[in-house]
This record gives sequence, structure tokens and C-alpha cells, in this order.
Amino acid sequence: MITTPDLIESLVANAAPVRRLRPPVARAVGWLLFAALILTLLAVSHDVRPDLALRLRQPEFVTGIAASLATGVLAAIASFLLSTPDRSRAWLLLPVPALFVWVSTIGYGCLINWVSLQPGSLPLGDEAGCFALLVLTGVPLSLAMLIMLRHAALLAPTRVAISGGLAVAAVTATALSIFHEHDASAIILIWNFGIAVLLVALGGAFGRRMFSWAAPH
Amino acid sequence: MYMARAQAGDRDAYRRLLEDVTPYLRSIAARHFRNSGDIEDTVQEVLLTVHAVRHTYDPARPFGPWLVAIANRRVVDALRRQGRSRAREVALEAGHETFAAPQANLAEAASDGRVLRDAVEQLPSGQRDAIRMLKLQEMSLKEAAAVSGMTVAALKVAAHRALKTLRKVLGTQNRKA
Repeated sequence: MITTPDLIESLVANAAPVRRLRPPVARAVGWLLFAALILTLLAVSHDVRPDLALRLRQPEFVTGIAASLATGVLAAIASFLLSTPDRSRAWLLLPVPALFVWVSTIGYGCLINWVSLQPGSLPLGDEAGCFALLVLTGVPLSLAMLIMLRHAALLAPTRVAISGGLAVAAVTATALSIFHEHDASAIILIWNFGIAVLLVALGGAFGRRMFSWAAPH
Repeated sequence: MYMARAQAGDRDAYRRLLEDVTPYLRSIAARHFRNSGDIEDTVQEVLLTVHAVRHTYDPARPFGPWLVAIANRRVVDALRRQGRSRAREVALEAGHETFAAPQANLAEAASDGRVLRDAVEQLPSGQRDAIRMLKLQEMSLKEAAAVSGMTVAALKVAAHRALKTLRKVLGTQNRKA
């Protein structure tokens, strides 16, 4: 075993100048700009849902989309704040109010529309397109988040992964609502909320491992 | 502050910083570990982490909480590791050591045997030979007589006296113990 003074000497010998991280909020804005870029690219390649203009006039839909977007933004900010060693872990709660509103709108829509959902009315053909959209948004956003927060591997990987997963899931859900037409709220619930739960759970379970994979060795 | 200069690559400032914080880190670790090896391991883990994430320090914010947060992370990790290894492993102590040969596991019997051997060693030579041949080597009276040149009667007497002496010696030892 190396003695502590020797360790200090070897660390000093390796003390190359480092570039300081920008403030967490600025970095979160960077990630959100990247997310906006991806959504713009999707809007150019994929058409937005045909009834978007109509839906945007419905307060329910607007509330839902605003809440999911807010959840994404707040969760992203929380992730970057949590990734620094000295910020309070209470930042994990930052996206909770928006998340609550988002989940409530999904639940409310579900409650209202559940009755109208009949067997055979589920648009099963859409699922592949839906899944492709999900991967196209989710994967680059997750990778960007993982690389930008790789230093969190040594600090609070699980906490950061949970809020990062929520940020990615919320942005992806926003994309789904803009690009994908689902009349049945049950499907929205399954896709949006299911994905959110899945990503957050994956973040919680494998966050430590994912970050140590992305971390500099 | 030293950390800001260390981030810029100032090695002297970095060395001073690390040397200054080491006793403090040791006192944090000592709150959770008793074993000095564990304390030193934790201190070194903290120093390595500080080195790896030194770019996350923002000079506009105080250094203390940044350092303490990192130290607490490593302490928690070390405690978890310790908990895991305690749950699955048992530290090998002298009491747990065991060997294939049965006599190695009978420490008490071995020490009793030594006392007996010492007692036999202290007997007068005639009695000692009689005891060795008749009891330890399990010779018959005739064989022992042939080997030692003593008569059978003399051997019997010697063996009897030897047992009596041993009984007395070991008896007094036991009482002393």
C-alpha cells in the first residue's frame, strides 16, 4: 500500500491544469439547447401531428405539454446541480411540482377518455413509428447527458442518473406529444409515463455503472 | 485560494492544499473507522477523488463544503464496502486458524501432553525408563526387562513409583493452576 505522503506527491506530479466546469445552470442550458436542436431536426424530417393546431387550442393538451416540458427543463437543471459535489441533494425535488402537474394531466385525460376506449380502437400500426421516435430522441439525449455529467461517477451517480433519466423522459414525452397522434389517453399514459418510469428506474439501478463506464479512467 | 491556483496547474499550491487537508480528512474518517488502516485508505480515496474531480470546484464558492461533501461520499462508500464484506466474509483470526493435522486443532490436549512429558522428564532415570518402555512404548514386562537389563520385579516397582511420583507432581501443578 502506498503511503499518504507518496500519494500526495504522485497526485501533485499529475496536476496538469484543468478547465473549470461552467456553472451548472449554464451547462443545463447547453444540454437543453441540444435537446431543442434534436426536436427541431425531428420537426423538419418528421411532420408534426396533423391535428397539432387544433390540439393546441385545448387547455388540457397545452397544460400537459407545458408540464412535461417544464419537468424536462427542471430535471435537467437539477441533474447538473446535483452533479457538483457541494450542492444540496434537495435539488432532486426541483422537478417534482412540474412532474406532479404532468402526471395529473395524463391521469385526468385518462379518466375522461377511458370510457371511450374500445377494444380494436388501439392504433397498433403506429407503435413502430412511436418507438423509432422514442429512440431517436432518447438515445442522443441520454448519451449527451451521460458524457456531460461523467464526473458524477465519483460523486452521486444514482441521484444524478434518476434526475437525468427524468429529464430525458420528459423531453422525449414532449416530442411524442408534438409529433405523434394518439387519441387514446391510455396509450399516452403507457408511452409517456411508462417511458419516464422505465428511464428513471434504469437510471436508479444502473446509473452507477453507466457513469463509471463514461467516466475518465 | 490554493485550489483555484491548483486548477491552473500550480503544483506547489496543490501540494500545500493536499497536505493541509489531509489531517482534517483523517479526523473525518476517524469518526467512522477505528482501524488506522481503514482511516488511511479512506483518506487516500478522498484525495484521489479530489484529484479526479478538481475541475468541478468553483472558486466563487467556499472550498470547505465541497471537500466535506466528497469526503462524506467516500466515507459512505467505505462503510458500505465494509458492511458488504462483513456480511459475506469472516476475518481470519488466530482462533479460527485450523490445520489438517488433528493435533494442531487440539491446543489444550497438546499443552497437557507437554506438561506430562516435562513431568516424565524430571523423574529419576530408572523410573523414567520404566514408564517410557512400559507405558509410552507399550512394551511387555519381558521385552522391557530384556532391553533394559532390569528384572521384571524391579521394572514393576519402578513403574509403580514413577506413576506415584507423576500423580504427585501433576496433582500439585493442577492445584497450583
